[in-house]
Amino acid sequence: MKHSVNRPPTPDGAEDQGNEPTLQEIINIKLIESGEKERLMELLRERLIECGWKDEMKALCRSYVKKKGRNNVTVDDLVHLITPKGRASVPDFVKAELLQRIRSFLMSAAL
Amino acid sequence: MCLRSSSYTSPKPCKHLADYKLRHAFDGYDSLQNCLKTTPIGRTRVDNHNTKIPRCNFCNGYLGRLYICLMCSSISCSTHILLHTQSKSGHDVAIDIERSELYCCLCCDQVYDPDFDKVVVSEQIKGSCPGRSNKRRRLDSGMELDLKKSKRLIAMRDGRAKSCYPLGLRGLNNLGNTCFMNSVLQALLHAPPLRNYFLSDHHNRDECKRRYGEKLCLLCEIGALVSAMFSGDRSPYSPAQFLYSWWQHSSNLASYEEQDAHEFFISVLDGIHEKESKVRNSSKDDGDCQCIAHRAFSGSLRSDVTCTICGFTSTTYDPCVDVSLNLDTVNLSAAEKTGLSTLSGCLNLFTRAERLGSDSKLHCQNCQELRDTSKQLSISRLPLVLCLHIKRFEHSLIRKTSRKIDQYLQFPFALDMTPYLSSSIVRSRFGNRIFAFECENSDSSAEYEIFAVIAHSGMLESGHYVTYLHVNNQWYKCDDAWICEVDEGIVRASQCYMLFYVQKLLYYKANKDLSCNASVESR
Repeated sequence: MKHSVNRPPTPDGAEDQGNEPTLQEIINIKLIESGEKERLMELLRERLIECGWKDEMKALCRSYVKKKGRNNVTVDDLVHLITPKGRASVPDFVKAELLQRIRSFLMSAAL
Repeated sequence: MCLRSSSYTSPKPCKHLADYKLRHAFDGYDSLQNCLKTTPIGRTRVDNHNTKIPRCNFCNGYLGRLYICLMCSSISCSTHILLHTQSKSGHDVAIDIERSELYCCLCCDQVYDPDFDKVVVSEQIKGSCPGRSNKRRRLDSGMELDLKKSKRLIAMRDGRAKSCYPLGLRGLNNLGNTCFMNSVLQALLHAPPLRNYFLSDHHNRDECKRRYGEKLCLLCEIGALVSAMFSGDRSPYSPAQFLYSWWQHSSNLASYEEQDAHEFFISVLDGIHEKESKVRNSSKDDGDCQCIAHRAFSGSLRSDVTCTICGFTSTTYDPCVDVSLNLDTVNLSAAEKTGLSTLSGCLNLFTRAERLGSDSKLHCQNCQELRDTSKQLSISRLPLVLCLHIKRFEHSLIRKTSRKIDQYLQFPFALDMTPYLSSSIVRSRFGNRIFAFECENSDSSAEYEIFAVIAHSGMLESGHYVTYLHVNNQWYKCDDAWICEVDEGIVRASQCYMLFYVQKLLYYKANKDLSCNASVESR
């Protein structure tokens, strides 16, 4: 399988933002430590299956693989294919529910 | 862990994975065993027991897909994983941390190794405690089909018969809102195992009367019916004797009111079983019962109830003679623009893992507490004849109303039940790993062919049932006393209520014996 090797950008060594974790990182760490992130991920997976989002993504992948041929597709290709479409097609009610859950988590964790 | 099943084709490893295996065999996999963590619902991730969250060595990122190198356990994100393999020769294979899947950094693609999956699956099973009782139920297909006898019967055909109609097609008179009965009888009498059983005189009416002297025997009545249907006489037959017999058996349903065809179907099978178990004086459970009803229709449903907290799964098996499906109206995927409801959609809905509400918590043996649970059904043993019942009649006890769901349902003529088998469902729960499942039942096939469709038209209170039969490559509509040939398009467009499929091998064998012309065979 010939494949032009993607050259990733040379890591910027100086991009060490000091040792200060950003707010996002702090929240993420708290979510993971408490196990809430795992629960949220499960909830998200459930909702995305229920509303047909997963089937839609599957169908996209299938048609792509059919077009390109089974041996000419990598996982990376598929990820790049469906990531933008996937992000755009998450239903609003799913986003709203998860945001609500994160908000209430933050309120209870801030104490 | 058993050997891989031959029906499951696994992808070949890439050159780099193969090289890695040659050099390091299972060292990397074994050291992984202590680092795998399974969530209750079955996702396995790599957990290095670090207190910190995994971050990419190059960019310190923690988002997206992260990979851990099998050789040096260093973590890289998907953008920088190639850098890692370039900087360290031989570090070609890594594991996706979130998903426990092998990744080849040089091929930039996911790769598969049954040995790796074996390790992951054994950890997953260890994680959810042992204690499931998996009784391996084997389908006993020891049916004696005396085909020679039935061949003789066919040879003696009545000259009055319309010669191109296959044997066995005969109208049934409506005796007063009995289309529910007629439609089911047409389907049952053409189910190959049942038809052959009665045509081969396995239940001899004279002997039955002599031995048991009972005036009314449901099996005798069905036998009489089968003889009448296959006699060659094409004039519509009145199954009055049968109706009377059935009324004796199911006295609660004895009336001239329109009944539910499915309810009738169940009660007939029940009647056959009762008589048979009386005769044989046996009280075997439905799974091993040898009465013709169970030999033909009995299958087994597996129900897995999983604790969402600890992952402990309790499995039960229940015998069933049919599968009742809800229509997949609510969850039509957005991809199906036409909004079409399909049989596979209904079957998917039936086998989908369902989270039971928090108001119905169950006691988990492992946690010793009431917990939220997830339940999933699958078919552990397929019957010879598969009856699928579409739940179109909704009865609401709260509102004391009933209504009929007219939604059109698309169904196939050839049905592959593999995705709904316990082996497939359980396998997908483990993330589609390559491994053989203990209960894999390779003796019975999962491919079915349709032979009868019971369709309902009209409203709940005043509807009408007809049966479409597929005999010798031709579809026939059986509308009480009237039988006519119809195009398959008509059948596909009908509003199906009960679908009857028979195992493919049996179907072709059965049809072969019934062909009017000796040469008719091909499909």
